[in-house]
Amino acid sequence: MTSHRLGPEDGASSSRRAGARTTKAEFLARVRGEMAKTPGLFVAAPAERPAQPRQRLELLRRELSERWPQTLERFRAEFERVAGVFHRVPTAADVPAALERICRERGARRVVSWPSEELGVALAPVLSAAGIAVESMPRAVPPDAERLRIRAAVAEADVGVTGADLAVAETGTLVLVAAAGRPRSTSLLPPCHVAIFDRTVLVESLEQVGLALEAWHEGPAPPERGAVINFITGPSRTADIELTLTRGVHGPKEIHALFVDGGLGLHG
Amino acid sequence: MTEPLITTPLRERAAQALGDRFLHEALDIATTRFIALRRDAFGDFPEGEALRDRARAIKEATLQRLDAHLETLVANIERLGGHVHFATTAEEAREIVLDIARRTGARMAVKSKSMATEEIHLNDALQAIGVTPVETDLGEYIIQLAHERPSHIIAPAIHKTKGQVAELFSRELRRPGLPADPEVLTKIAREELREKFLTADLGITGANFAVADTGTVVLVTNEGNGRMVTSLPRVHVAVMGVEKVIPSMTDLAVFLAILAKSATGQKLSVYTTLVQGPRRPGELEGPDEFHLVLLDNGRVAQLAGPLRESLYCLRCGACLNVCPVYRQIGGHAYGYTYPGPIGILLTAMLNGPASVRDLSHASSLCGACADACPVRIDIPRMLIELRREVNVRGIAPRSERIVFKALARLLRSPTLYRLAARIGRAAQRPFVSDGRIRALPSFFGEWTKTRDLPSIAARTFQERWRDLS
Repeated sequence: MTSHRLGPEDGASSSRRAGARTTKAEFLARVRGEMAKTPGLFVAAPAERPAQPRQRLELLRRELSERWPQTLERFRAEFERVAGVFHRVPTAADVPAALERICRERGARRVVSWPSEELGVALAPVLSAAGIAVESMPRAVPPDAERLRIRAAVAEADVGVTGADLAVAETGTLVLVAAAGRPRSTSLLPPCHVAIFDRTVLVESLEQVGLALEAWHEGPAPPERGAVINFITGPSRTADIELTLTRGVHGPKEIHALFVDGGLGLHG
Repeated sequence: MTEPLITTPLRERAAQALGDRFLHEALDIATTRFIALRRDAFGDFPEGEALRDRARAIKEATLQRLDAHLETLVANIERLGGHVHFATTAEEAREIVLDIARRTGARMAVKSKSMATEEIHLNDALQAIGVTPVETDLGEYIIQLAHERPSHIIAPAIHKTKGQVAELFSRELRRPGLPADPEVLTKIAREELREKFLTADLGITGANFAVADTGTVVLVTNEGNGRMVTSLPRVHVAVMGVEKVIPSMTDLAVFLAILAKSATGQKLSVYTTLVQGPRRPGELEGPDEFHLVLLDNGRVAQLAGPLRESLYCLRCGACLNVCPVYRQIGGHAYGYTYPGPIGILLTAMLNGPASVRDLSHASSLCGACADACPVRIDIPRMLIELRREVNVRGIAPRSERIVFKALARLLRSPTLYRLAARIGRAAQRPFVSDGRIRALPSFFGEWTKTRDLPSIAARTFQERWRDLS
């Protein structure tokens, strides 16, 4: 035990001039200096990154496509365990009616949604006919004033409709990658979030999510990619007042998963 | 020094906590529930034990090449258009954030719960330059309104009743007559804070992890405030201890699988947010600026120090819930930012050994913390080292040092030990009743003031053993 090593008087702080900022080089040099003093370490390795993750992910998807019904069943059970509401429709053509029902049951009049190109299905005709206003998010970035207006509209909306990039059976999680036309707030600001997806996004485990994350970061990001990836596991919740579970504290109070058996025709 | 030394003796702080009946009950209910949730979560998860070993190995491997991982992280964040700042001390970290606030003309900062910003006491500093900090985690919001401090790492307001929260909201938010109903109170907080999210200029967060390979800062929340804070304001600043870096997304998957299970018993927290720099060109939302403040504040010195292993800590709170001391006295009695068994180690790391003169003894060394820790940090071993340090450096009271010294002599010599047992047996006679010593005179009375001492047996184990063989 090196008793002289404990405590701030040993730190670089005392020797610094007041007001001077630590540079990257100084900071890293100090880290290196301390690392060099470390005696007798045991052998440890981080998790091994998969080689060629894109290829591995493609292989995995092919494997998973053969057992998707079990994966979906597990997703449904876990999603419901975290208080999600699961829906299943035969084809993409049935999606707007299912959404209309969700809206009607909640008295929802205002819907914001990712554009139909991103969802793989057009909602507006059916919902508008039922007297529900649908605002589709822009795929190109509008001027600032318009961006602010859109943000206010999203904050006022009753329901937000998105797609999903992964649905994780182990945890009942939906993974959404922000991108042009796939904004973050659609799944965050409205009190009710509906995610529409099909079998192509189902994965079994967090480990497989790790592989997908590696694959998505192999090589330069596609230009439309956003700066945030969100994992969503159930509705927003807190237990901060006397450990009483309460939903919808900042994010949505309700989350729905709408699974389309026949596929959304998004993924070629 | 990060935090001023607490001068009230731990004994007084603990006595105060023990006298608070509601706190006591709330702690008991909360920690018991957290323990059960954690146990069930790992019970349903046979691969959990192996993943804990992997997670521990990742932390160790990362520290062994910390310089390289930090360098990669910095390069990637800069490639994504973010800025990285380097803070050796808490003061420097504060100054960096204040500079950003000043330069961007910020008036209000929304914050997502972060122990790192608590540690550097950022809120007071922001307030002092006219930036209003708003805590947005419900528990943190409550204690900010009440001008108190968190009592638990992941449930900061467990010491308050719903009645107290209703009263607090009624008064502070000028909404008189609110009912003591968590549902209603949560809805009020949602309305109040929603408006703040939409108007704040600055979003401030900590970070649960940072993935070096991809330049990704990872935030885990249940309420969704982490998402708000990183998406709505113009500027996002994340403050993170250097030990939070991990190499890859593959590693991240390992940690995510055990973090929430250890903290709240959830398979995954509701929101895991991976932030990769500022808003990209095609994106509708997100901050124009992204800053990461890398914080040393005593951590780097421990790379080669006795507290190195505490750099593995994920801040899950599992060791607090199982600690017999924490369960009795709660977080406030510890006095510093980080409570509980790991908190004692972190306090020593940040504030030096003088800050843990008493705290290093606030443990029964039962080992429950090490069992509960998702990365199996050997907390009891380091607590013993801290006690040694406090003793060797002459920080401990003189009386304690003398007793320890005498005890050490005694325990090393069989002859002395036998002699002492004989003397002790004779000397204790006037004080023993039913095999226990309930009160001792003068200096020794310090011990019996709050607990009994079992009397020395009529015949010691060694004496009996001799008779047997």
